[in-house]
Amino acid sequence: MAEPLRILAARRAVRRTLAALLAVALCRSALALDYQVHGYVAQGFVLSSGNNFFGTSTDGSLDYYEAGLNAEVQVRSNLLFAAQGAIRAAGVTDTGRPRLDYALMDYRFLPGINAGANLDVDAGIRIGKVKNTVGFFNETRDVIFTRPSILLPSVYGDNQNQRDLVFAAPGVQLYGNLDWGNHEFSLVGTASSNRGVSQAEDRLLVSLSVPFSLRIEDSWNAQIMDSIDGGRWQLGVSAFYGRFILTATVPTVPPEGLYGTIGVGLDVLSARYNGEKLSITAEYALNPNKDAITLGGATLQNSDIIADTGYVQADYRLTSQWGVMARFDAAFLDRNDRNGRAYAAANPGADPASRYSYDFTVGVHWRYGEHWGVWGEYHLIDGTQNVQPLQNPGRQLADHWSMLMLMAGYTF
Amino acid sequence: MISSRRDAKEGQSGWRVVWLAASLWLLGLLWMPGTASAGSVEIIVSPDEAGTHIDRTLLRAIFTMRLRQWPNGTPIHVFVLPDRDAVTDLFCREQLGTYPYVMRATWDRVVFTGTGLAPTVVGSEREMRERIRTTPGAIGYVRSGDTSDRRSSWPTLLLAALPGKPRG
Repeated sequence: MAEPLRILAARRAVRRTLAALLAVALCRSALALDYQVHGYVAQGFVLSSGNNFFGTSTDGSLDYYEAGLNAEVQVRSNLLFAAQGAIRAAGVTDTGRPRLDYALMDYRFLPGINAGANLDVDAGIRIGKVKNTVGFFNETRDVIFTRPSILLPSVYGDNQNQRDLVFAAPGVQLYGNLDWGNHEFSLVGTASSNRGVSQAEDRLLVSLSVPFSLRIEDSWNAQIMDSIDGGRWQLGVSAFYGRFILTATVPTVPPEGLYGTIGVGLDVLSARYNGEKLSITAEYALNPNKDAITLGGATLQNSDIIADTGYVQADYRLTSQWGVMARFDAAFLDRNDRNGRAYAAANPGADPASRYSYDFTVGVHWRYGEHWGVWGEYHLIDGTQNVQPLQNPGRQLADHWSMLMLMAGYTF
Repeated sequence: MISSRRDAKEGQSGWRVVWLAASLWLLGLLWMPGTASAGSVEIIVSPDEAGTHIDRTLLRAIFTMRLRQWPNGTPIHVFVLPDRDAVTDLFCREQLGTYPYVMRATWDRVVFTGTGLAPTVVGSEREMRERIRTTPGAIGYVRSGDTSDRRSSWPTLLLAALPGKPRG
């Protein structure tokens, strides 16, 4: 009962926050506050061969859309409130249910100190539900206008099961910026509260025939980013850690307790070059998974593997409206067994191709004015690491497959 | 580079280099008529901030929306022209040393993470001047030398004619 009560309390708090934000926004003229309202909406279409990706995409699927509405209110120059509500549907991996994307108070305790020639420092704290800073795109991963393609590179596990873990969480975030000569360093550190996992995600993470509880504990995140020469070069290092706690009671005689801890890390190296026409982006991530599962005190599973993934993407701006991209992306569930053969040998019947995926993507986008955008991309894929079995019940997964994705969006 | 090549070669080839340089210069004039006539961009701020010294580091901190207040504590209000406006392109290149798409990515990130306010987009340089004149703590940019709508009572707003450094 404690869990539903906590969720109800959290919902009430969110409603109160939103009501307060709205009230503050409506009183803007009286209090001379600065506020802004922004939003986005986009509908996707996926047509794939061989495997279903988002929805029954082998028949063509519209089960892929996203929308969000946010408000920021700057009460004073050092105090800001912001919240965003969002919906997103993506086959079995996201439900389309409304959710609170973020809701935070941002207090700038160091407004900016000009400590000398070409040296400036500012720092602050954010409290509430905040975004984790992982790689270039985690914070704005659900907004097509801010990500590098319709489908994010595998570093971000767009079709995987770690959104609740990595994306955003209630907690405290400290941030600071340091301008030094041509370098703009930004540092962000986040400590997140323990939290539950949504139903949509726990069924992707755990396959158990008995009721179970899955929680996230000890999660934290840090990032340092260096933007050089006004953003011409961007270099970053991000680290994330969180621990899933799995508990269940297996109805044996007598009943036995199942207990598991699954430690998940995500360490990302990011590099980007922004030229006038050409941008090159590359990211590499290490994703250690350390599992220890016991049944009635006896070890059931004990594993320690490191997945890794990386991509290189080139973007070329033909005009201010048209752009093209090409990307090579690879993901491996075990960096010491990249072709999956050792896994298949140890697990008779397993497909080695389920342990990796290589995705070669070409895409085009068209921006019409400030508000509209249309994207299209074609993925040629080898391997099924990025396919959700739950999206393909009763199907034999195809190792070599392809996908056409289209998306049209509006932002303001 | 041209002089060193000239030193290395004799007589006729030296003239070739001069001719080549002249051709390139003429070609450059033909190639960039817009840039040549566009002049450059100047930063304007509201009259109450006229004494603030603005270098490129400070300008970047302001226009990436990281800095929220002036040294005297007044909140900063950033005004920009639309992304595709030629003056925005010039401003990003000359004053910030970057491109409009990089700034747009920065602003979108701020907006969709709730970590700040986006700059206010105005429709014309005339509106830019008017909004900056009437908004405390405002900063923006206009084409330099554009006096078509400058009023006689217009205060001296040019604060920092940063050294132009066209990119690309």
